Amino acid sequence: MKTYEVPQNIQDANDLEQKLELLKHIGRSFSVYRIDCGSCNGCEIEIFAAITPLWDPERFGFKLVANPRHADILLCTGPVTRQMYYPLLRAYEATPDPKIVVALGACGATGGIFYDAYSVLSGIDKIIPVDVYIPGCPPHPASIIYGLTTALGVMDQRLQKTSFEHDNEMPPAVEDSVLGNTLFERDLLVHSKRLMSYIFGRKLYDKYLAALVKSGNIKDTKATKAAITEAMKKEDDPRYAECLGILHNEIYTQYVPCQEEDKISLHRVKWGR
Amino acid sequence: MMKLLDISKKYGEITHKYPFEPYKVAENFRGKPAYIYDLCIGCAACGVACPSNAITVQLNENKSKLIWEFDCGRCIFCGRCDEVCPTGAIKLSEEFELAVKFDKSAMIQRGELEVQCCSECGKPFSAKRLVKYSLECLSKANLGEKRLEEAKSYVSVCPTCKKTATVANFTAGKEMVIE
Repeated sequence: MKTYEVPQNIQDANDLEQKLELLKHIGRSFSVYRIDCGSCNGCEIEIFAAITPLWDPERFGFKLVANPRHADILLCTGPVTRQMYYPLLRAYEATPDPKIVVALGACGATGGIFYDAYSVLSGIDKIIPVDVYIPGCPPHPASIIYGLTTALGVMDQRLQKTSFEHDNEMPPAVEDSVLGNTLFERDLLVHSKRLMSYIFGRKLYDKYLAALVKSGNIKDTKATKAAITEAMKKEDDPRYAECLGILHNEIYTQYVPCQEEDKISLHRVKWGR
Repeated sequence: MMKLLDISKKYGEITHKYPFEPYKVAENFRGKPAYIYDLCIGCAACGVACPSNAITVQLNENKSKLIWEFDCGRCIFCGRCDEVCPTGAIKLSEEFELAVKFDKSAMIQRGELEVQCCSECGKPFSAKRLVKYSLECLSKANLGEKRLEEAKSYVSVCPTCKKTATVANFTAGKEMVIE
């Protein structure tokens, strides 16, 4: 598909010098026109969160307007569906020169998760020249405020292209196992992630290992049972407490020979407060 | 009007001072995935898990380096790379100030890893760090001496050569090949 070519007169009126000139004269009054080019409305919700009194962008003079003819900044969201292609161009041409175009969200910046879908043009910058990219899916209101203030030159750009090229060929060190068998740690981590997902699962894994080491002798089933039960009673969050018991019953007993009475009976221990 | 002023006095000022004072995001906020090059082993688990292909792990054109590349503009901050990473080389950070001006390539992050060539056919198939890391993991996993020696020979063989070797083991060499 042949995409839009920016007409020469718009191109001439939109070079960098004229944009800087505009920023010099405009003071503290920026009219923002928001175009939804087929986004999922996540970005819209965050834009409206960003213009509430909680963030209050009118401190810098940002104001949403209802007409592109009143706007200085075009805030474009969405991966540009085929239906929204011409409306986007109409809004772009209607905006007075020089105009600043901001691509908001992962979809606006590069197409995001839809980058290779058949029905979209994947990204605002494939069609019209973009000045500021704000990634995020959706971006946090603070990111939007940051992006708009970066567009005005109030704040500096933080992100820079980074490239690591010198490979020392040294893999990260593997930690020693507490039981002398790393398969125990592996199973423990996998099961705690299965129980509580990855963020909380990692915390659970750390809690369990800390409680296990605290027992003194790790291969002594009585001592470990007492230590884990103690940790369960101290734990504030009942989810962690129950999962500590499950981990002990299901993983620890596989690696250390245990009797039936060495398991923790979960319905008898009172955990939490 | 006076009533409005009274109400605003009662509730105080709630506007964040953000651009002038740093803003602290909520706990477990999903920000930009932070990449620690020294921990990366080039296993490509993140590239497989990434739903929007923001992370790609590919050999470069002359097949001398394995390139790990992350495009922040395409990232949807789902955290699956963090979930699957075996060494914790990629973790979601609390960074939210990601906007860039004019040049989109500022959002790209890349790392180059040395490639391991297959000991049978000589074709590159993996990163050297991954092979070393696998051996180190195996050496700490209670394996027998003989089993470890065996492992040392097969970790540096590419999947295709492994397959042919297995087929050669199981057959007498006289069977008809179905293409």
